[in-house]
Amino acid sequence: MNLVQAFKMAFKSIYMKKTRSFLTMLGIIIGVASVVIMVSVVSGQNKKNLEWMEAMGNNVVEVYADSWTGQNMDTIINEFVGDLDKKLVVGITPNINLWGEMVVRYGSKSYSTTNWDNWEDMIQVVLGNDAYGACNDYNLAEGRELSYLDIEKESSVCVLGGGLKEKLFNYTSPVGETVTINGLPYLVVGWYESKNIENWPEVDNLLLLPYTVNRTLNKNQTISNWKVKCTSSSATSEVTARIQNFLNGAFPLDEEGNQQGGFGRATTNNTWQEQNQEQAKMQTMVMGGIAAISLIVGGIGIMNIMLVTVTERTREIGIRKAIGAERRSIIAQFLIEAAVICGIGGILGIIIGCMGSLIAGKFLLDGMRLWPDQGIVLGAFLFSVALGVIFGMYPAIKASGLQPVEALRAD
Amino acid sequence: MLIEIQDIFKIYNEGKESEVRALDGVSLEIDRGEFVAIVGQSGSGKSTMMNVLGCLDVPTYGEYYLDGHDIGSLSDRELARIRNREIGFIFQGYNLIQELDALENVTLPLIYQGISVFDREDRAMEALSRVGMAERAHHRPSEMSGGQQQRVAIARAIATRPPIIMADEPTGALDSKTGRHVLEILRQLNGEGSTIILITHDDGIAAQARRRVRLSDGRIVSDEQLKEAAV
Repeated sequence: MNLVQAFKMAFKSIYMKKTRSFLTMLGIIIGVASVVIMVSVVSGQNKKNLEWMEAMGNNVVEVYADSWTGQNMDTIINEFVGDLDKKLVVGITPNINLWGEMVVRYGSKSYSTTNWDNWEDMIQVVLGNDAYGACNDYNLAEGRELSYLDIEKESSVCVLGGGLKEKLFNYTSPVGETVTINGLPYLVVGWYESKNIENWPEVDNLLLLPYTVNRTLNKNQTISNWKVKCTSSSATSEVTARIQNFLNGAFPLDEEGNQQGGFGRATTNNTWQEQNQEQAKMQTMVMGGIAAISLIVGGIGIMNIMLVTVTERTREIGIRKAIGAERRSIIAQFLIEAAVICGIGGILGIIIGCMGSLIAGKFLLDGMRLWPDQGIVLGAFLFSVALGVIFGMYPAIKASGLQPVEALRAD
Repeated sequence: MLIEIQDIFKIYNEGKESEVRALDGVSLEIDRGEFVAIVGQSGSGKSTMMNVLGCLDVPTYGEYYLDGHDIGSLSDRELARIRNREIGFIFQGYNLIQELDALENVTLPLIYQGISVFDREDRAMEALSRVGMAERAHHRPSEMSGGQQQRVAIARAIATRPPIIMADEPTGALDSKTGRHVLEILRQLNGEGSTIILITHDDGIAAQARRRVRLSDGRIVSDEQLKEAAV
């Protein structure tokens, strides 16, 4: 008997027992679909986190330093970072968010930093230097960044985020126009492309001023926050350690382990990102594991059904043996039957899993177009067929070993 | 000699109190082209005899030569081959596969024999025509009467053109008219050279054969040639 015949027989017998075949398949369908959905939801969530984190700035060291003895930390930190290897550091910028109400106006349009009722229209005014864009992963769309001269001369210029630019100027160019902040005029010299991070519009609703400008806006705060952009993740850890080391030197620890003369911290969100990825991996494994258990339960269901089938069809096996079926033909027939049931179940499971992923993406992940990874789909399919073969094996071997006369005696 | 068995024993639960000797030292020779009826009461061992002769079961002791082959020394696979090519079975309960139609049932032994698709369809149809069931080729067993099912079973038995046909109470479940028809087909096959071994408890049916072997308690009690088959 050849393979084509064996497949035909398997399909026939599956078709003849539609209801039972379908119920058997159901276990595999649910198992495969849940593996596909769970893994793609977790990896979609993961991808989203990663995108968010990348947009928020990768390889960035955030430095906080505040001297209680009146030292100018800005000069000190800038000097220290400036002396670091250029292979490690891309740039450093003060990183100051201005609090309090500020209203940015252009023509008849105005937006406020304290518009809590409509957070999508709320803007932020930040102070930085010529490296602000580079340190925060903003790409210039048009015009220029703040320049060293703007900082030196305390020029009344600003750079707009993509979101704020669109709100104030629609599709016309803002470069060369003048906006007012609390009534004072500022010349727009450039604007950044939007990052379009979901649920995070203020990233693009940004207005950047030279940090030296207008101390009244700043309420004469001293500068105590910086962002240092590094070249790679290993550079980031090194720079973080060196700045922290330096700060420990500047504010030596007392016996109780508290810094003296001020407070200084260097942190990076890279470690947090790594932890996050680690956690996501764990999540994928746990979820995948739970789903795999349901697949195995489906497989046991198949073995159960195959055992019942074999018992039920003992007489048929006897007849087949009596008219000349070899042992391996019988094994092949039952194995193929199990594999085909699982294969069809696997394909249906994948289809349902893909649809489920799309639906889950739409409702759970804010309309993200979630499409399962090909590897997962292939893996789930092969796994389900393998389950059929493994769990179909035992009853098939059992059935084929019977003496024809014993099998024929069965009812 | 086509079939030769010597001192065949088939013992169940040997050595225990419940020991049953279904065959108790049977020796028999059957030549090519014979029409032998093996008769006996229920429990006489005649069905066990057919199972052993048909290689459906292995004897506990004894030797069995089929066409010169020592059956006891053959592997599982070789036994399957012999059942497929040398012997055609007709059972009392027809033993058709319910999920398959008449043609598919008859084709089955040809599939196991490895005959190509086109040849086996032709040969299966030919066998069905022999028993007058060609029009019912695509009916399932459940859609046929007992006599029709038995004719399909005969077609399946003769599809591979085996030299030996074994029939275990082939008319047992049929009314006398259909039973006669089935016996007529067997006689025709015998006329064409097939060796027929017919198992029955009914002396009237055994009278159709040319030789009658009577079994009782697992032993042969008589073996006689019948001069003229009654009609």
